[in-house]
Amino acid sequence: MNAPTVRVLYIDDEENNLHAFKAGFRRQYEIYTAISAAEGLKILENIPVHVIIADQKMPQTTGVEFFKSIINTYPDPIRILLTGYTDIEALADAINHGDIYRYITKPWNDLELHNSIKNAYDAYKTKIDLRNKIVELEKTNDELNRFIYSISHELRAPLVSAMGIVNLVKMEGLFNSSGEYWGLIETCSNKLDYYIQKTLQYYKNNKTVAKHTSVDFSKLINELIELYSYSDRDTHFHVEIKQEVPFYGDVFRIEVILGNLISNAIKYQKEDEKNKKVDINVNVTPTVVEITIADNGMGILNEHLEKIFTQFFKSKINHGSGLGLFIVKEALNKINGKISVSSNTTDGTTFKITIPNVK
Amino acid sequence: MLSKYKKVMLVDDNEVDLKINSKIISISKLFDETILCQSGEEALSYLSKHVDDVANLPDFILLDIQMPEMDGFEFLEIYKKFPASVTDKCLIAILSSTLDFGDIKKAEANPHVIKLLKKPLFPQELEKLLHKYFA
Repeated sequence: MNAPTVRVLYIDDEENNLHAFKAGFRRQYEIYTAISAAEGLKILENIPVHVIIADQKMPQTTGVEFFKSIINTYPDPIRILLTGYTDIEALADAINHGDIYRYITKPWNDLELHNSIKNAYDAYKTKIDLRNKIVELEKTNDELNRFIYSISHELRAPLVSAMGIVNLVKMEGLFNSSGEYWGLIETCSNKLDYYIQKTLQYYKNNKTVAKHTSVDFSKLINELIELYSYSDRDTHFHVEIKQEVPFYGDVFRIEVILGNLISNAIKYQKEDEKNKKVDINVNVTPTVVEITIADNGMGILNEHLEKIFTQFFKSKINHGSGLGLFIVKEALNKINGKISVSSNTTDGTTFKITIPNVK
Repeated sequence: MLSKYKKVMLVDDNEVDLKINSKIISISKLFDETILCQSGEEALSYLSKHVDDVANLPDFILLDIQMPEMDGFEFLEIYKKFPASVTDKCLIAILSSTLDFGDIKKAEANPHVIKLLKKPLFPQELEKLLHKYFA
């Protein structure tokens, strides 16, 4: 592969220097020279230069003044200032206001200047590459957002229509008319819908910035119980809420966390249990909220307890998605919450959550 | 048994959903009459036509959000300019499959929307809502 063409503009009011520079570097770089800042600007207007070297001591416009003047119009080229040993003030000024990359003392050493140009070009490339990457990333992000939005509409809408048809079939008393087929369609549709919902929850949890509003736990928990026990009225909830002080937190994530835990508590009951129950305790203090959700369901095997918060972990017996508790954990991480679990297969499972009160 | 609430209007661009939901409503006998509109424009023109004809105005409107041309929110923008005789009579609930947080917030914040119902429509849920607002 050929070495990239590096375009260097050198501005100096001494013609001899321009000649010397050209002679010394024309083999390595594509060189443009200008006898004044004004001339240099003309070249900049026509040629996309990578590196600009300017002499400080020039009549009319100094090197630093020139660099300052092009900061907004030509921000990309990397600047190198050539200056005499005594020009401390100019140097300080250049570093503070001229956005220069290097300064080289006159008379220059060919090797030093060569290295500086090489490094300057690398810096230029890094800057441009980074900018391109950012543009690319923003585009990808945008596409992802649109994709997620379309999942929540286009992909889900026809599925929900199918679920509506199943409801209608039930209402017309035809649910058992084709053996178990309608039931199977219902199971499949619900499963797919569940995956879509979890995917969106996971994505939103990752993307959304925490928004703090006041949270009324009594209202929230009762709404969630209503929502998730809709299809299963067998489980009895006993809710005890002590909220004497206001609680502020990210209601979206708290809803996701409690929703997943409550729906799990309903889903993983023992089939033959006569008295299916879930106890929910909430205690709000000025600093935290502590929530306990305890069920008398099928429980979790000891050797699985460590893994239940990992993505796509599923036990062989219980057909979960492997997403619910993973999302709970991710959401808690975002709001500095904690979770612990104790469980055995006789008494059921207890989750304890602590979430900071942010006000 | 006579239906308690007379007319319901369904606004949805999706023919399948329009069919499903009108069937669900007719089986559950919640309304005497169902007015089907395949777009926000069609619904608005029905309302304008019957603006002085209260008997023919729907008591309840189930409005979809995602529709081409005029979406549910645009419909509401124009709807709110109707005289109070219309907006007082027609209660609106959104019926959508959306899970988009922005859409949900926006729907709940609209003063003309009494509730956001999620598809699929459950007759018990609808009945509960109607009971609360028409009792």
